[in-house]
Amino acid sequence: MKRTVPLMIVMVGGILMILQYFIPHQISQTVFAYYTDWTPIIVAFALVLGVGSLTRIHSHKIRRKAKNWQYSYAVLIPLFGMPVLAHIWPVSLSGGMESPSIFHFTFMHVQVSIQATMFSLLAFYIASAAFRAFRAKSALATVLLLSAVVVMLGQVPIGELLGRWLPETGLWILRYPNLAAKRAIMLGVGFGMLATNLKIIFGVERNWLGGTGK
Amino acid sequence: MNIWGKMLNIDRRWIFLGIGVVSIVPFFINFGMPVRTTREVESIYEYVDELGSDNAIFISFDFAPGTQAENMPMSVAVMRHAFYNDVPVFMTANYPLHHGMMLAAMDYVFNPTTEGFYEDVDFEDWRELREAGVTAKDELVEAWENQGNQLPDGATGWVFEGRDYAALGYAPVFSLVILGLTVSIETQYPVDAHGNSTGEMPMLQEHKSLREVDLALTSSGSGACVWWVTFAREKIGLPIAFGLTAVMATDYFPYLQSGQVIGQMGGLRGAAEYEVLLAENGITPSTDKAFVGMDVQSAAHLLIILLIVMGNIAFFAGGFHKKTLLKGGR
Repeated sequence: MKRTVPLMIVMVGGILMILQYFIPHQISQTVFAYYTDWTPIIVAFALVLGVGSLTRIHSHKIRRKAKNWQYSYAVLIPLFGMPVLAHIWPVSLSGGMESPSIFHFTFMHVQVSIQATMFSLLAFYIASAAFRAFRAKSALATVLLLSAVVVMLGQVPIGELLGRWLPETGLWILRYPNLAAKRAIMLGVGFGMLATNLKIIFGVERNWLGGTGK
Repeated sequence: MNIWGKMLNIDRRWIFLGIGVVSIVPFFINFGMPVRTTREVESIYEYVDELGSDNAIFISFDFAPGTQAENMPMSVAVMRHAFYNDVPVFMTANYPLHHGMMLAAMDYVFNPTTEGFYEDVDFEDWRELREAGVTAKDELVEAWENQGNQLPDGATGWVFEGRDYAALGYAPVFSLVILGLTVSIETQYPVDAHGNSTGEMPMLQEHKSLREVDLALTSSGSGACVWWVTFAREKIGLPIAFGLTAVMATDYFPYLQSGQVIGQMGGLRGAAEYEVLLAENGITPSTDKAFVGMDVQSAAHLLIILLIVMGNIAFFAGGFHKKTLLKGGR
């Protein structure tokens, strides 16, 4: 029973959603609207579950003084502080209610800066990795290397100054060989997803229930 | 260790320093190298340029702060283009963080320190005119200015919340939200990000669902951009345009060739191309942040290529390729 009910829900829900997509009738639209109304409600419960679980794990870590327990405060304080600043106590930096609020300030000057910094670090590591790893060791590696150089130069204005052929060749690589390879990969992934989804809908694949699937 | 060996084993902090220098210096010395536009970006520009106040577009802020350097300028550019042509803009976000990016884009476009900014009129501020039935853009501007409001110096024009834009923002399970938008915008967003009732907005009364919208631009830093193709383009035929990060851009060329998207802005380059088109056609007074960033990108790409060339010279001149082969690997 514990497995049959979820399996039935997935099967009926999955088949309904597939069918309604192809039936432009009022009943089909009503079923769809009903279904989509339910989804955010389920997600809201999942959010409660997620926040609860995260809180439990990190509180436990702090209590036990586990390794790097101090960082758990960095999780818990913003986790509860930001919603409080957004909804319960939306004061501004001057203490009044006018904008910008502390929430907005924190988002723009902490969250945005942290994420932008993390992403920017990629440029440094890519440069170092390119220097060490990009070697013309074989014919295929040479093709890859030359393509990369042409596309990189073709994407920036300095490539245009070095020669008109550079951006044109770079675009040709993107528009034809790259496109062909990407399409092949996407088709493969697409068929794989279709097969997996059908297996889940018809109960062949049951790992999502937990356990071994038997 | 000979000179080639030393070169190959260079301390990576020197490389980091080099990248740091070439990333900072071009901001102070503006080279202003020319950016040539490509058909992928021109097609979006031309499409938006054909639209007017009877049309409407969606701009979906589907990126986090990490990719804002690339995604923000393209979103801002299309938003300014739409405002210039009085095309109503619906703004959405597929994740809570992306909602913040939407608000940041609005802050930038409406900020008086931005060259060619737009003067924003809050939904509540023009309630009286709305209730008097003045909702057409030309009449609205005239009536608003007759009330004694004056366009500030340097502003390109007025934008009225609910008439010119609706900041719908984030809603959970965004793939399903897109599906829901194909039936009704108001059902998915009964209120906007500022708590205004969307049902009272003239632009929502004229464009009730995605079926009555002319374009959706997804400015995306993740695979979520495909949701718009799957759930809006394929279901109701809504034209889609992609604004993608540079590393993502290569993945989405098949959608261009199949005609599922009308165009694609790839990374900072794509945004810079759009800015060039806007400036060349007098829609903005000058190019913006992406164009400046192209100088930085030129210098950084050149340095990386120099590093690759130097690495290969050292590798072959030092005979390291033979040693590697002797070890039986490549």
